[in-house]
Amino acid sequence: MLDLLHIDKTFHHGTANETTLFSDFSLTIARGEFVAVVGSNGSGKTTVLNLISGSLLPDHGQVLLDGEDMTNRPPYRRARRIGRVYQDPALGTVPHMTIRENLALAENKGKPYGLSLCLSRKKNAYYRELVAELGLGLEEKMDIPVSLLSGGQRQALSLLMSTLTPVDLLLLDEHTAALDPKTADRVMALTERIVREKGITTLMVTHNLRYAVEYGDRICMFHAGKILLDRGGEEKKATRVDDLLSLFQSISIECGN
Amino acid sequence: MQLFFSTSIDGLQMGLCFAILALGVYLSYSILDFPDLSVDGSFPLGGVCCTILMLRVGLPPLLAIPGAMVVGILAGMVTGLLHVRCRISPLLSGIIVMTGLLSVNLALTRLLTKTGQTTTIFSYRSEGLRGIFHPAFLDDLSPTARDAVTIGILFLFVLAIKLLLDLFLRTRLGYLLRATGDNASLVVSLGRDAGSYKILGLALGNGLCAVSGGLYAQLFMSYDNNSGSGKVVLALASVIIGTAVFSRMRLVKPTTAVVIGALIYSLCLNYLVLIDRDGIYLKLLNAVLFAAILIGHERLSAWREKHLGHTAHREGEKKDA
Repeated sequence: MLDLLHIDKTFHHGTANETTLFSDFSLTIARGEFVAVVGSNGSGKTTVLNLISGSLLPDHGQVLLDGEDMTNRPPYRRARRIGRVYQDPALGTVPHMTIRENLALAENKGKPYGLSLCLSRKKNAYYRELVAELGLGLEEKMDIPVSLLSGGQRQALSLLMSTLTPVDLLLLDEHTAALDPKTADRVMALTERIVREKGITTLMVTHNLRYAVEYGDRICMFHAGKILLDRGGEEKKATRVDDLLSLFQSISIECGN
Repeated sequence: MQLFFSTSIDGLQMGLCFAILALGVYLSYSILDFPDLSVDGSFPLGGVCCTILMLRVGLPPLLAIPGAMVVGILAGMVTGLLHVRCRISPLLSGIIVMTGLLSVNLALTRLLTKTGQTTTIFSYRSEGLRGIFHPAFLDDLSPTARDAVTIGILFLFVLAIKLLLDLFLRTRLGYLLRATGDNASLVVSLGRDAGSYKILGLALGNGLCAVSGGLYAQLFMSYDNNSGSGKVVLALASVIIGTAVFSRMRLVKPTTAVVIGALIYSLCLNYLVLIDRDGIYLKLLNAVLFAAILIGHERLSAWREKHLGHTAHREGEKKDA
């Protein structure tokens, strides 16, 4: 489904700060797989997401989606097949538009944005139903600008919007990191439900080791641009938070932190 | 009293002209979050193009207006392309286009006169210009009735443009344009190139500015190369006054608020002329008025937040303070 092949990526070329993050990095994700990626800061988690979405280009190597070469496509063309939820709840919605307007905008993804009216009364019941399923009481706030919602509510809405139309791949970029623990749990449970219901191939970057262990079919730990640990299937199910934590600590000691 | 009355009439007429300019700037400034300085160039561009289309090409005055709009759209596209494709900052892209248009307008003006000496090039009777506002039968009416007709025609223009803009902003394309100014990364997530929509918005905004310039030239039956100076300030002030005054009233559409803002500001400007008859301090008074509006707006927002609990969340208001 998704193949990152032989990726090289160096930052700050030709300066004193030159750092090579990836050299000959490869990662393959199968269709329908839900992969959780953990790792310390600077390990390359977010860079991988950026390479997939196109906001960063690799120095060498290829990004394939369903065997199709995406490497040189601009972000907006890749986004037609990819959904993404960011860490910052403000990035996934249009703040000055209402919930209804946001949904109408997201629902049209993949179709032309022409001169027909965006809102339609016929859709109101459908939108309400969608929002009610989030279980946050947002169905009573359909005509309120999203900027007035809480971070958790916005993030739930972002998740809903990014998966409203069929996408081949869902990228979750620490999407619960800015939320309080209880709301984060709620958004995570919601993520699981949506991903499973729709069978979307998902790549989730998280700092929360518990989420990485509890959710998803496969867990990868990144360190300095390498995949240190990659467990799927039964092996993944047997993995405990403590296993990850001890590995994490051993790396940290190695780095002198 | 007579002077006050005629000043008010003038202010109203100019205000209706500038309302279209303000709607154009509302599109770029409020909707796209793009402070577009090229407006100072596209307003006179619309004026000179409209004049050329009537005097040299012989188009009827009503058709010269959309003609001017097309040229304004092209100017806006240049600003947009400089910003989006060449990655020049919004302010600088606007300044570049504004500066370039000074010469373009001057060159176009030369098409209108044989000698190219004067910038004010024609008057109604001697050159035979018949603008929208001066059909023959008007000559027989009293000046007051003539003014009323002028205001009526201008009002219809503004109303039509405002309604069309409202309608456009409710279409899928309009929604995407609003999203581009608010959160461009979401537009990218939707699989659309946010840059193209910026260019589109700037093109439309400058198109409206050119329409305003064309109407203005027809209204006063003259075109002046200097008519562009201060138009950005005028339009921004109109947008800010409108959105500040009506920000709490959800029933008043932002576009309506902007039109009313333009009327208020133009009236104020015309009353300033009454104070400063020589016109020496006019621009200074203009600047002071604008500053006073901004300060007042700031105070008002702070007061509202303190006493009414939450900030207003109207579109046009978001980046004003």
